[in-house]
Amino acid sequence: MKLDGTEKGDSMRRFVLALPLIAGILIFVFLLDLMLGSVNIPPDALLTILTGGTVKETWMNIFWDWRVPKAITAVLVGGALALSGLLMQTYFRNPLADPYILGISSGASLGVAIIMMSAGICGAGAIFASIGLLGDMSISVAAVLGAFAVLLIILLISAKIQSNITILILGIMVSYISGALVTILLQFTDETSMHTYSLWTFGSFSGVTWGQIPMMAVPLIIGFILTFCLVKPLNALLLGEQYAESMGMNYNRVRIVIISTTALLAGVVTAFCGPIGFLGIAIPHFCRAFFVTADHRVLVPGCILVGGIIALITDIISHVPGTDIVLPLNAITALFGAPVVIWVILRGTKFGRGVTT
Amino acid sequence: MSDVTILTSSGLSVGYRNQKAIVKEVAKDLNLSLKRGELVCLIGPNGSGKSTLIRTLTGIQPPLCGDILLCDRKIGEFSPDEKAKTLSVVLTSQVQAGYLTAFDIVALGRFPYTNWAGKLTDSDKKIVISALASVGAGELEGRFIHEMSDGERQKVMIARALAQEPELMVLDEPTAFLDLPHKIETMRILKNVAQKTHKSILLSIHDLNLAIRCADQLWIINRKGNMITGTPEDLVLSGIFGSAFEIDGVNFDPIRGEFTIPVEKKGTFALSAPESVERIWTLYALERIGFLPTDGAAADISVTVRKDGKGPRWHCTHPNGDHECGSIHELIECISARHKGGDDH
Repeated sequence: MKLDGTEKGDSMRRFVLALPLIAGILIFVFLLDLMLGSVNIPPDALLTILTGGTVKETWMNIFWDWRVPKAITAVLVGGALALSGLLMQTYFRNPLADPYILGISSGASLGVAIIMMSAGICGAGAIFASIGLLGDMSISVAAVLGAFAVLLIILLISAKIQSNITILILGIMVSYISGALVTILLQFTDETSMHTYSLWTFGSFSGVTWGQIPMMAVPLIIGFILTFCLVKPLNALLLGEQYAESMGMNYNRVRIVIISTTALLAGVVTAFCGPIGFLGIAIPHFCRAFFVTADHRVLVPGCILVGGIIALITDIISHVPGTDIVLPLNAITALFGAPVVIWVILRGTKFGRGVTT
Repeated sequence: MSDVTILTSSGLSVGYRNQKAIVKEVAKDLNLSLKRGELVCLIGPNGSGKSTLIRTLTGIQPPLCGDILLCDRKIGEFSPDEKAKTLSVVLTSQVQAGYLTAFDIVALGRFPYTNWAGKLTDSDKKIVISALASVGAGELEGRFIHEMSDGERQKVMIARALAQEPELMVLDEPTAFLDLPHKIETMRILKNVAQKTHKSILLSIHDLNLAIRCADQLWIINRKGNMITGTPEDLVLSGIFGSAFEIDGVNFDPIRGEFTIPVEKKGTFALSAPESVERIWTLYALERIGFLPTDGAAADISVTVRKDGKGPRWHCTHPNGDHECGSIHELIECISARHKGGDDH
């Protein structure tokens, strides 16, 4: 099995051959994420837990209440970010596009900032803390509202304007506006709220509880399914929208589905885990170089799996196994992810391939 | 070529409509018809509306008035899928897709025929392979598009349009980025496709010489937005071809079938040589340096071309003397020097 593309062959077949290996790595990293952390659970204890046995109560609690929801979140979020990044890079035909390019995360940040600051200003933090699930959810709800407010603006504009470059610029402008509003809000806030806000911007897979997992998983899986349905038009879009339309693709419909799916994936991720950067822009490039194809029938499942793997690895690293230290996830994704991606891309240039979409 | 008409238009006006009030009409009263298996070159000066017409004929842009019939149906009545099965395009814009092989690109031409996931059946794969083969790009199959030369890329894009199995292929300036041999090769491929697969081909082109040599029919738009159609040779003979393109100082030479570069007239010459390649190129060389052909003794210079075992020799007789030259370069140098000398006296 050769994965570096030096042999001529069907990329789909090569992917199917590599699939067991990738799935195996995903399962291995998933188990590793369950074991490692501030308290390391040894493999034999993990085996006992998984086969229904009982071990030390602290281990059981850590395992079920923390590690499992965290690992599930990481897998789903990694896949979602990779997919939404792929959608944006193909739609804008721009290698620098990422899931947040439409301003989705900026909208979410604005929503979160408003909630946190208003809580701080009105002394309402105590109220939020006391209303249980709804309290946990207030940040997520605010983020979803913010994200979808931006989506609504983008969709309204895109109904009038065809050019995707215009939409790109509008998305960036919306980001600037919400960024400016957040900065102004931060100016008038107390230190506790500011700290809470900056912790949120670091990103984390640990904040999702069992109760929230279905609320996060269902929309993300819907997003995955929608993206699978888009593989054919996405492939056509590689040639540009005019070619795609000449081949019978309904550009307006596809465009709305692409934008909405991206917003759904990126919005939900931001709502539950904060604005996690880097994964969305890097994993599609990694997958293109790794599978040596731009065929979305390979890239869509590939991004979900590789996204899950990389998200799990960054989660393990950020929790610095064996210590109580938790590093900001966003720092880890970039610090450890960027060299890997650089390596993959530079290795690609040996065959005359650089970053391309 | 058969008698089945693939594309017709009657009373067609093309142009742009702004807010429904301001109308910019680019070309009007277009009555066109294109038969199966025919290769039509659309030519016209810059800004005459070639692109607008192409966009209108392919249904990207609505006509200002008049009808376009594609296979006897109004083009507006086609569903996107049906249209894609009848009409395919090759655009001017370069495709900038990385990590796609020629096979992948051509396979995208099967878009209107494949299922939701774009899965290729065995017959789809055969069509893709044969499309690549018929443009002479069979060996490019596994190569990546971003590693190809412009000429190779253009072949792949033509193969993609072919794999769409249309009745009509429309190409917007397919030779624009290519050097002359590749321009000719592209035209040869298109001519071949039209003849072998009985597809109709409409293409816009700037290269007038190529258009005259390749097209079954020429559609010429002149600067006023009027369309003249006909067989290339007829249009040349009637002088329409020349008058549509001539601008100050640039004239069409109907004998050579190309536009001549005007030069300052220096004198006349008489040439005596057997019918040969040497004769033709000696003629071109003398015209290039500003001498016009004339008969008999009135000529300023007379040139004789002789061929013996050692190759051609040029003998130049000038009022100031004779000269024997071994190449056209020597001949030109000798004429320029002597002639300048002659003027001084």
